[in-house]
Amino acid sequence: MQLRRLWTPLFIAFIVATIAYSENVVRPHPHDNRIHIVYWEKWTGFEGDAIKQVVNYYNTHQNKIHVDLLTISGIENKTLLAVAGGDPPDLAGLYGPNVTQYADDKAVLPLTPFLKKYGINRSQYIPAFWDEGTVNGQQYALPTTPASTALFYNRAMFKAAGMDPDKPRDWHNGNYTIEEMDKDAEKLTKRSPNGQLLVAGFLPSEPGWWNWGWGYFFGGRLWDGKNRITATDPGNIAAYRWIEHFTKEYGTTNLSSFKSGLGQFSSPQNGFMSGKVAMEIQGVWMYHYINMYAPQMCGKDPQFGVAPFPFPASRPDLKGSTFSDEDVITIPRGAKHPDAAFQFIRFLESPKGMDMLCGLQWKMSPLIKNEPGFYRNNKNLLAKFFAEQAMGKNTIPPPKMSIWPQYQNSLSNAYDEVSLLTKTPTQALEEVQREMQPQLLQWRQQEALRAKAEANH
Amino acid sequence: MTTSVNAKRRPKGRLTGPRNPFLVHLVLIAVSVVMVFPLFWLVSTALKGNAQAMKVPPVWIPHPMLFSNFPRAFTYESKQLGYIPFLVYGRNTLIIATLVVSGTVVSNSLVAYAFARLNWPGRNVLFAATLATMMIPFPVLMVPTFILFQRLHWIGTFRPLWVPAWFGSAFNIFLLRQFFMTIPQELSEAARIDGCNEWTIFREVIIPLAKPALAVVALFTFMGVWNDFLGPLIYLTNQNTFTLSLGLQNYSSQNGGTEFGLLMAASTIVIAPIIVLFFFTQKLFIQGIAVTGLKG
Amino acid sequence: MRNRRRTTLTALAFASPWFLGFCIFMVYPLVASIYFSFCDYSVLRPAIWIGAGNYIHLIHDNIFWTALINTAVYTAIALPVGLIVALGLAMLLNMKVKGMAFYRTLFFIPSLVPLVALAVLMQFIFNGQYGILNVILRDLFPFVHSQSFPPNWLGDPAFSKLVLVFISAWGAGNAMVIYLAGLQDVPVQLYEAADLDGAGFWAKTRNVTLPMISPVILFNLVMGIIGTLQVFTVPYVISPTGSPERSIYFYAMYLYDNAFIYHQMGYACAMGWILFVIIMILTLLSFRLSERHVHYGS
Repeated sequence: MQLRRLWTPLFIAFIVATIAYSENVVRPHPHDNRIHIVYWEKWTGFEGDAIKQVVNYYNTHQNKIHVDLLTISGIENKTLLAVAGGDPPDLAGLYGPNVTQYADDKAVLPLTPFLKKYGINRSQYIPAFWDEGTVNGQQYALPTTPASTALFYNRAMFKAAGMDPDKPRDWHNGNYTIEEMDKDAEKLTKRSPNGQLLVAGFLPSEPGWWNWGWGYFFGGRLWDGKNRITATDPGNIAAYRWIEHFTKEYGTTNLSSFKSGLGQFSSPQNGFMSGKVAMEIQGVWMYHYINMYAPQMCGKDPQFGVAPFPFPASRPDLKGSTFSDEDVITIPRGAKHPDAAFQFIRFLESPKGMDMLCGLQWKMSPLIKNEPGFYRNNKNLLAKFFAEQAMGKNTIPPPKMSIWPQYQNSLSNAYDEVSLLTKTPTQALEEVQREMQPQLLQWRQQEALRAKAEANH
Repeated sequence: MTTSVNAKRRPKGRLTGPRNPFLVHLVLIAVSVVMVFPLFWLVSTALKGNAQAMKVPPVWIPHPMLFSNFPRAFTYESKQLGYIPFLVYGRNTLIIATLVVSGTVVSNSLVAYAFARLNWPGRNVLFAATLATMMIPFPVLMVPTFILFQRLHWIGTFRPLWVPAWFGSAFNIFLLRQFFMTIPQELSEAARIDGCNEWTIFREVIIPLAKPALAVVALFTFMGVWNDFLGPLIYLTNQNTFTLSLGLQNYSSQNGGTEFGLLMAASTIVIAPIIVLFFFTQKLFIQGIAVTGLKG
Repeated sequence: MRNRRRTTLTALAFASPWFLGFCIFMVYPLVASIYFSFCDYSVLRPAIWIGAGNYIHLIHDNIFWTALINTAVYTAIALPVGLIVALGLAMLLNMKVKGMAFYRTLFFIPSLVPLVALAVLMQFIFNGQYGILNVILRDLFPFVHSQSFPPNWLGDPAFSKLVLVFISAWGAGNAMVIYLAGLQDVPVQLYEAADLDGAGFWAKTRNVTLPMISPVILFNLVMGIIGTLQVFTVPYVISPTGSPERSIYFYAMYLYDNAFIYHQMGYACAMGWILFVIIMILTLLSFRLSERHVHYGS
């Protein structure tokens, strides 16, 4: 009986202790006299190691601020939830395309006052990379690591097919057209005797991160920047026809089983590195991944080359089109130490900080002026090339619209439909137009209503 | 005491012995193969590297067997995070499970007692209303509940995940009520004549008899917490507060560079304890459900 | 009289957690949800009353209809398949042969696998190229020389939903255990009587087993409706956008996207209420239809 009486208080004590412990897990309390700022980053692997080194350097080279770095997966959603929940980090490493939506939702603080105070401005950056953080004239984000894209091609395969191994780079003095590339792709494509696809000369869905943007390479636009969605722009339709022709050439079932046999991007089974895809669009980071997973392709006589992505023969003005995108750093609304957080941004955005981070990640720097020898010492031999790509006039940034997540999903669905031949390019893009135009107008109305309500508040 | 409870019940039945037990075994084994095959594949993949995992035709028995996937999965990203995420996820899951399971058992048995053993006006109407709440889909409540916890500043803490468990839930109230009803009223009456109050009857008579049913509720709840994905996905924001099922997603990295062997090894580690738990409790489990008699 | 009042007070005290929980976690969110469904609300900015605006938008929203139809098609297949598979398995496990504890565990194991792991594992097994299932199929049917055989399961909009049906049927352990409990509750005398009448297995199943466990079937049916219409985790892990061609983009996924990706909480609430009405109608319908068939024991 004595023992049984003890059960209840013991149980209660156990529960109370568990609760206390759970609270402590969620909010550990640091014990020093520095300001602790919480910094959420998305990077894992070697990219995560790079930012960790930068943060460690910062923490050990001054004694007022301590940056607590946390790796967060799904950062683009988690940050919003944390802001909404009232407990955001002081710094959040979002993706560039998130900035507009976050700014419109008032989830991140404008950095403009800080930038003015410390004399940080557009002239110090490659314009495309500065501009991705600008929304309605205010700066909400600064670039951390930037990227641009180009055509990666397998030199060994070009040679084996009896062509100049650097044809994409050299043809007519760097005037390689999409039409010419399509012809070469046909020559590079290999099939088994029963028609199965073994090697694809070019695959627009590899790696598949920019399926929304092919229209820009044909002069298309996704919207007019104000109130009109232009999904059915002739340039977009031309691009989707181009995508369609690959399926028609390879065969729907052939292509879909070929695609499911390709390994994931970050693996030796990657389509390009395993020699199953002869040409594809890729970004500045590709050099590092090839080094990591296919070192045999590097070396003195490298098996791969890189060239500006080709352009349609009828549109020489589109020469050098390149996606420009970046990872950014922001201060979420409700951050406890915005000033201290900006001090870290100041360090990170200095030539020293940028060179360290971008160098360790094997990328180019978003800054125009770098520390001496940055490109010479960069382990990525293509860093300079990609920086120049981004400085050209045909950069393609992700559209700056709040409904971009919806729009992107709608476009990726259209891409599926066209590449599986269930819809014609015109049908698929008309569907996108029908879906997104009302969304844009609705969003405009909402925005007006919200502004009015806030003014009255 | 237990016998007196069961004595009141109808004799339980099975289909009488099959004419051809051999055939039955054959069918059972065939079905078992289908049921267990994916699991076999899970373990087999857990012992392969990426190249082996994606080989055509697939390798049935991995060679070489990469047992090192298990320690690697266990310490995945630990260098970068400064802690072993797997241990942290496991600890978080256990914290939440402890609080949710104890809350569920305590609160639901109290409430079920009121519905099953006490006579009060409005009882049946309220019970019907309780059952009706089972029909409300989670997505309906998801957004406003999120806003509620946001107003309380509970996002990013464990509280949204365990506090509601202390307030009962329709399904468990129903389950326990059905069981409590099968306990003979005479036991309570006798205790009342001895001068016991309801709290004492609840604690000293009903709860000891209800252990199998409570175990079922606890087990169902534990498995629910162990596998819950949407709740942690919405409410937890820091990686050091993630649970196992949410943490598993981290093994497929942002660039789609999933190391299948690691992911499967991690999954194996997550599943193993719960399979062992089920194996040792399955009799109690099925009995518990049987005696709660879902027939209303 | 005093005694009755005391009992009532005691009962209310026992039930008080539920009353509190009911008000805080049910009534409040429901009322708030109704209110927000008539608002434009993005969480970080004030909610603005817009009347039936969200509901009107939903009617014109293509993606809403796609998600709704996907969910309806999936439910129409997965629900009956799940019920039949679970019942079949339970009847197997109710046989009187040796080693049943072992079989029971094996049959229940699939429903213990965390859904995230399950989704990844199944993607692997159903992969069109290196998936083990297609390798087995190719070996079993070496004479089929069609380009579309074996299918590229999850990459083909015609098959992707079927894969999900299989995954859900494979994890039907919970329903199975509940059936099993119901089967064990069937009085053995009924079978003995049927045996005397010379009834065979099918006759016994039709005339004894099914009527006797009909309440359990109804219970599993209602739970199945509620669960299946909310399908989320497995398709979300396989493809958050429901690719290919939105063929596995379901209602709860679009609701989640609206709430937490597109920041349209009001719209998401309106979607939630429509789902609630649908579930309500289907549940009432199954109760109404079951009145004639469900047999509540003596």
